[in-house]
Amino acid sequence: MVRWFEENGLQSDVVVSSRVRLARNLRSYNFSPKLADVDAKVMVNHLKEKIAALDCVKGFNQYDFSELDDCQKHAMKERHVISNYLLGQNTAAGFVSSDEDISIMLNEEDHIRIQGFGSGMNIKNVYDKVNKIDDFLGDVLDYAYDKKYGYLTTCPSSVGTGMRVTYMLHLPALTMTNRISGIATEVGRFGMMLRSVFWDNNSDGYGDIYKLTNQLTLGLTEQEAMDNLNHIANQIILQERAIRKQYIASKKIEVLDSVYRSYGLLKYARKLSQKDGMILLSQIRMGLAEKLIHMETEEEFSIYQLMIGIQPANLMLISEEELSFEALEESRAKFIREHLPLIQ
Amino acid sequence: MLCDNCNKNEASIHYTEVVNGVRSEHHLCSDCAARMGITSIGDIGNSDIPFVKFLTGLLASSGLGSEDYDNPMSHVRCPKCDMSYQEFIQMGKFGCSECYDVFGPLLDDNLKKLHGSAEHKGKQYAKAVSDGMEDLIDSNNISDKSDKDKGENISKLNKIKQLNRKLKEAIELERYEDAAKYRDEIKALKEGCANG
Repeated sequence: MVRWFEENGLQSDVVVSSRVRLARNLRSYNFSPKLADVDAKVMVNHLKEKIAALDCVKGFNQYDFSELDDCQKHAMKERHVISNYLLGQNTAAGFVSSDEDISIMLNEEDHIRIQGFGSGMNIKNVYDKVNKIDDFLGDVLDYAYDKKYGYLTTCPSSVGTGMRVTYMLHLPALTMTNRISGIATEVGRFGMMLRSVFWDNNSDGYGDIYKLTNQLTLGLTEQEAMDNLNHIANQIILQERAIRKQYIASKKIEVLDSVYRSYGLLKYARKLSQKDGMILLSQIRMGLAEKLIHMETEEEFSIYQLMIGIQPANLMLISEEELSFEALEESRAKFIREHLPLIQ
Repeated sequence: MLCDNCNKNEASIHYTEVVNGVRSEHHLCSDCAARMGITSIGDIGNSDIPFVKFLTGLLASSGLGSEDYDNPMSHVRCPKCDMSYQEFIQMGKFGCSECYDVFGPLLDDNLKKLHGSAEHKGKQYAKAVSDGMEDLIDSNNISDKSDKDKGENISKLNKIKQLNRKLKEAIELERYEDAAKYRDEIKALKEGCANG
């Protein structure tokens, strides 16, 4: 089964993925800041029982944190199946579709987070799937909802639709020309947020992967929020493409050199840090998107699956043991050598 | 111990970061930490934080956040989850669904500042809508409606609610002419519902 990060969708030269998250709470339980762990356990069990009986989760895998080790949880986080917040919870459980497109998280900052992922630029399609699950759940559960405020969430910043829509964007050209912070300020004026997905210890982003997310949830419909997101994303995509084109036209040999060098390093390195791996893969991703290099594979190859693959917990899952920092760097280089397709 | 970042000042902030399963320790001086926007551990990697801080900042600056005994808000507590007003503005989060009734009205202005509106316009929860329908049907003695009529009545119901709010606002602002207009519109809509 092909997962969203293993394929390229619409506008995939820039847009890696579309994500929708709905926050829902139950009326009868306190929200997370006031929910005692013993009550959280009762709630999670109640939700598991109710949701497992629904047709819409048929074929989904069910997990409970009490049955997972840390490495498994972190690997789920790296594959974006669960959120950072859920990862920090002692009590949590959830349901995941077999292709990992849909994930229902229980006992997140809100009682329920329904998340959908899709490759490329396709937010409406993802929303429709998530919305359907929400209808099923809302039917058998008693959501906290207010006619004035809409869906009640723990954080006032999500109340209303309780919906966050996000595009993951690959912006190497805008990053290289130092335009990201300007754009981030600009999109802020439209109620959006643009930030790096991967961070190093100095709080510097790397890998040229960003997420663009709506901040406003009250006073506009889901469709309007998605339209806004598409509108802003389109502007960013146009800018990214224009600068790539300009850059390639004016410095073709420099660009080619950097893409081929990155490929050479990835194909022959014997140890790789995560940051280096991401920076080099970003070059390859742009090289493929701009048709500067071509893979020998028949179908289009999604570089983002390697970006997920080289994260630490995933590498540990593959090697089936806890790895030291050095061993991780070694296994990361090996993983890329084995999985990066040959180029023509 | 010197700061990891500048290697000059004495490190005063120590934290352990676990990124993707790999644990690393950091020692920073307060200047570098502040520059990186790290003031407490909870701040790291939480994208909602600026938004929440902004909200609590607005509430605190409105004067209702002080702990003075005279401040009427210092006595307010949510009956369901026992969240106090102080706790609420410090945390910027609600403790349960009833907190919205307790603290919500104080928030309206600030929600408007943050979201541009204090009223939900998105998806309606089917259960809540059917409750609303029952109210409407009860108050107007409507029965045996087709689905189409129900849909129409829901939109009328929303319109009435909207007008009611406008009416209240107009009275508060002593705009009596507008208020009379809204009152008549509400009356007409209510009659429309009852007659069918």
